[in-house]
Amino acid sequence: MKNQYAALIFATFFVISCTTTVSDKVTSSDYASAESDVYVSAEKLDINLSDKIYFNFDKASLTDSSKELISEYIDFAKNAKAIRLEGHCDERGTREYNLALGEKRAIEVKNYLIIKGVSSSKIKVISYGEEKPIELGSDESSWKENRRVEISLF
Amino acid sequence: MRILFLFFLILSPLSESKLKIEITQGSETLPKIAIVPFQNEILSGRETISSLVEANMTLFGEFNSIKKTEMLSYPNSEENFFYRDWRLLEVDYVVIGRVDNTDLTNLDINYLVFDIGLKKIILKGDISGNLNELEQISKIISNRAYQSITGLDGVFNTKLAYILNPNKNSYKIYISDIDGSNEQLLFKSLSPLMSPSWSADRKKLAYVSFEKGYPEIYIQDLLTGNRSSIDTLGMSNSAPVWSPDSKYIAFVMSMSGNPDIYLYNLRNKKISRLTRHYGIDTEPAWSPNSKKLLFTSNRSGSPQIYELIVSTGRIKRVTLDGDYNARARYFPNGKDIVLVHGNDGVFHIATKNLKSRFINSISKTSLDESPTISPNGNIIIYATKKKTQGFLAGLTLNGKSKFTLPVQEGSVREPAWSPLAN
Repeated sequence: MKNQYAALIFATFFVISCTTTVSDKVTSSDYASAESDVYVSAEKLDINLSDKIYFNFDKASLTDSSKELISEYIDFAKNAKAIRLEGHCDERGTREYNLALGEKRAIEVKNYLIIKGVSSSKIKVISYGEEKPIELGSDESSWKENRRVEISLF
Repeated sequence: MRILFLFFLILSPLSESKLKIEITQGSETLPKIAIVPFQNEILSGRETISSLVEANMTLFGEFNSIKKTEMLSYPNSEENFFYRDWRLLEVDYVVIGRVDNTDLTNLDINYLVFDIGLKKIILKGDISGNLNELEQISKIISNRAYQSITGLDGVFNTKLAYILNPNKNSYKIYISDIDGSNEQLLFKSLSPLMSPSWSADRKKLAYVSFEKGYPEIYIQDLLTGNRSSIDTLGMSNSAPVWSPDSKYIAFVMSMSGNPDIYLYNLRNKKISRLTRHYGIDTEPAWSPNSKKLLFTSNRSGSPQIYELIVSTGRIKRVTLDGDYNARARYFPNGKDIVLVHGNDGVFHIATKNLKSRFINSISKTSLDESPTISPNGNIIIYATKKKTQGFLAGLTLNGKSKFTLPVQEGSVREPAWSPLAN
C-alpha cells in the first residue's frame, strides 16, 4: 500500500514537472560540386519528310495518318545504317510515367517498322518523356505538338 | 577549370538565393509566438539568434509572431519572466535566451520555451557552436522549440533538392536549406536531369541524367562530388528511390521496352526484379519501414496506384477513383499517402488514407506534380506552373497556410525534401 502510494506521488510529480532538457552541439558540412558533361550528337540523314509522328493524350497507339507517314520512311529506313526513334509527351501527368509513355510510343513506331520489314537491330528507341518539349504553352495547341515520336535516320 | 570554378564560389558568398518562401495565404487562428531578443545576442555584423529563430518558426505560416517593439518586457531568465506580460498580448508560446559570448569561437547559448496557457516551462536547452555557425545554431533551437510546442520534429535544418531548367539546353541540380538559403549547385548538364532522391543519411543524392543519350541513374556523394551509375548493361533506368533502411534503391528499368520495378542491392550491387507486367510500372516509393512499395501502373487501363509487399511480391490496388492517379509517396506515419490525382486533364495534389476509398484534393493550382512531404509529415511542397514557367508551391496539412517558392529565371521543378539530420 505504501509502495503504491509512493508510485502515485512520483507519477504525479513527473507529469506536473514535465520539462524536457536538451543539450546540443553544432556540426556542419560543406558539399562538393561535380563538373558538367557534353551531350554528343551524330550526323543524321536529311530526308524530305516530316520527322514527327503524333499521338493522342495518354495513348501510345498509332493513328492511320501516322501509319501512312511511317510507311513513307520504309525504303529509306531499309537503306539506312541506323534509325533513332525519340519518344515525347506533353507536360500533363507525372514525369516518370511520361518517360515510360514516351518509350511506349517510340516502341509502337519501331514495331510498325519491323512489321514492314525493317531490321530491328538497326532501330534505337529512346524516350525523353516530357523533358524536351517543342512548345512551352499550357494549352492543347502546345500539347499536341509535344506528344510525338521524332524519327531520324543515319 | 575546376580551380576557376572554386575561386568563383569563394568570391560570391553573398549571391542571392534562387528560392525564397513567400506566404500567399495565412490564418488569423494560428498560435501566436514571441521570440524575445536573447541577452548578449548582438554580435557585430551578424543577424541575431532571435530574429533567425523567428524567421524559422514562421517560415511555413504555422505561427503568427509578435514584433520586438510590441513586447512589454524582455526577460532572459526564469527569474524575470512574467506570464501576465504575454497573456495580455494573447501570446501562446515564448522563447527567451542568453548568449555567453565571451569566447567567440565557442559561444554558449541557453534558452527556455514557455507555454503561456499552461503557465509552465516546456523546454530548457543549451547549445554551443562558433560565430560562423549562428544559422545552424538558430535552426537547432528552432527545431527544439517547435518540437516542444507541437510534438512534431522540427524541420528547419532539413534541405531541399530540386532541378532548375534556366533555358533550353541547360539543366542543373541544386540543394539548398529548406528556407532557400545556402544553395549549392551539385551538377549541371546540357541534357535533361530528373528525379532527385536523398539517401537516408543525407550524404548521397540519386538522380536521372541523360548525359549518355538515354536515362541512367547516377549516385552522387554530396561531400566528395564523386558520381557513379547503376550498371544495367546499357538499358535505360530511372525513378530511383532509396530505402529508409539504406539497403536498396528501388528503380525502374525497361527490359525489351517494358518498364518494371527493380531493386538494386547497395551492398552486393545485385539487381532483382519486383514486377512483371506488360504495362507501365513506374514511380516506386518506399514505406517508412522499408517493407512495402507504392508504384504507378496502367495495368487496369489508366495510371493508378498499387502497393507491393517486397518480401512476398503481393500487389494490391490502392486507388479506385479518378482517371489518372500517379507518383504516390507515403506519409511518415505509413498510413496515408500523397499523390497526383488527375480528372479531365486537371492535375491536383491529393491525399488518401490507405484504409479509405476517398481521395482528397488539397491543391488549387492545376498542373501540379512531384509532391514531397516534410519528414515531420506536416508540410507538402510540390511543383506547378504559371504561363511557361515552373515554380514550387507548398501548404501545411491543416490547410491554413499556403506558400510559393518563386524563382527569378527559368523553371524549377521536382523538389525532394531531405530526411531529418541525425
